[in-house]
Amino acid sequence: MDAWLCVMFSVTLLIRLALLCFGVYQDQNLRWVHCGKLLFLGSDLLSALLLFRLLVLHCSARSLASVHCSMWLFNPLTMAVSTCGNAESLLAVLIYPVTYALPVALSLVGAPSRGRGLIQNLVWCFSRDLFLEQCSSASPFTACEYGWDFLQESSLFHLTHRDIHHNFSPYFSMLYVTAEHHWSVVLVLVCFLLQLLLLLLSSLAFCCSIHTAVFVRFNKVCTSQMPFSRSYFLWYLCLLTLVLSRLTLSLRRGLGLLLWFVGQELWLSHAYYLEFEGCNSFALIWIAGLLFLLINSLILGQIISHYRPAEAQLKKTD
Amino acid sequence: MFRCCLLATLLCFIHRGNSEEADCFPSEWLKSVSMSVKISKAGFHRDLHYRVQWSKTEQEVHALLVQKLPSGVYMDEYQLETLRRDTGLEVLLDSKVDVEAPEYLSSGFTALVFLSGRREAVVPVHGRYHRPSDSSKRVKVELESPRLLLRSEQCERGVAVDAPCTASNHSICSWTEILELEDHAGVSLELPVGDSSMIISVCGVTVLTTILCCVYLLRNIWKHGSF
Repeated sequence: MDAWLCVMFSVTLLIRLALLCFGVYQDQNLRWVHCGKLLFLGSDLLSALLLFRLLVLHCSARSLASVHCSMWLFNPLTMAVSTCGNAESLLAVLIYPVTYALPVALSLVGAPSRGRGLIQNLVWCFSRDLFLEQCSSASPFTACEYGWDFLQESSLFHLTHRDIHHNFSPYFSMLYVTAEHHWSVVLVLVCFLLQLLLLLLSSLAFCCSIHTAVFVRFNKVCTSQMPFSRSYFLWYLCLLTLVLSRLTLSLRRGLGLLLWFVGQELWLSHAYYLEFEGCNSFALIWIAGLLFLLINSLILGQIISHYRPAEAQLKKTD
Repeated sequence: MFRCCLLATLLCFIHRGNSEEADCFPSEWLKSVSMSVKISKAGFHRDLHYRVQWSKTEQEVHALLVQKLPSGVYMDEYQLETLRRDTGLEVLLDSKVDVEAPEYLSSGFTALVFLSGRREAVVPVHGRYHRPSDSSKRVKVELESPRLLLRSEQCERGVAVDAPCTASNHSICSWTEILELEDHAGVSLELPVGDSSMIISVCGVTVLTTILCCVYLLRNIWKHGSF
């Protein structure tokens, strides 16, 4: 492995271990580092290694691949999540949400075609071929084996889960103030339909990263690094690193990243004052949540319009 | 689950003690018993500081605080389990607590705080989300003062109250309730609530913004996607 890569992994390992030890020191009630946190830390580093290998396989130069990996490794969010004891980095290595069944199925039975028109393509997504493909996949057999619990935990949870506590989802404030109104189910349906519409349309690696980003950003709940909840951010951050090398953006890339952090920090600051200082910042969290959605959509839109598949890049360099 | 049911049943029988307090606790010594409860931190995550004091005695005294908590707050059983393992804090809850449910969908519960071998404990408590209001920005949650029960290994007479011996809840012991404590008001905490008068504007602007973002992304996907 390159010397630079060794240095990068060693430094980030040391930073993560230091964070773990600081956590033990700060919480004087603890006497040791939990083994689970070491496992998550390990899978965090392993996912970076997999990212590097995938980037090199997809014709990225090793130096560029290591720069992109460092965006995952040195990201304070990924460091904080794995050292806090959250298992999201394990998802990046082993398992991914069942929503990938849709892009995988679409790529196997044939992608939507521009010639058909937008509405016809959406109708085609519910075609017989796609239905038969899903029936022959592992999902129905697993559902029969494990029953309702499997369906609930793997698929239906995200359809019905509503968390009225403050989170990054743009729908948080709306769901909180309408929680007791019987017509709030209509709003939940609208949220889901908007999310589904975006998921139905979009090559596979690129599709999965955009697919995940859309799923997370338009979800009814989007929590971050809390110990006992999901960290939805890591789901797409890992895959977006994979496609960064295929973007034709230059300075815009850096500005987009800065904008994303500004949006996130704005939300976090108001959420901190609500949760830990007891300030009534519900309205500010609502506005910050919508602003974060706008920023994410802008960045996603730029990524979609400046992405070039590997074969197009190869032709360009020939 | 079974242990919660058993404890809940037993708590029905925890009644106020009668005038026959244990002879093993001399009345002079009982006058030295005092208790204090404080709440610290701000926001939705607070700490309840309990301290029980008594004058020197040759008996080994165990203390138990029976704290009733309203639906506006909750204790996290997983956090309590971690604290029990790491710090020895012994707290037993009488029912399963849904940590995500709002205040209007929750009910109060009782926490038993065991102070065996120690005289103070810090128990984390968390505020629940309350119903949005159009008249006030904050809501006050009152926590009543806990009941104090004492037990001595050397004395089994003068039973007043039955309660679990320890947080493991394997056996029941006889405790003496201390009634003549100095008048101690409970503690309270204030929690922010959302503004229900903004319901129309929040829903409208949120849906509009989401549709706008959706249209922008769909346009980009359709224009630049590989079909």
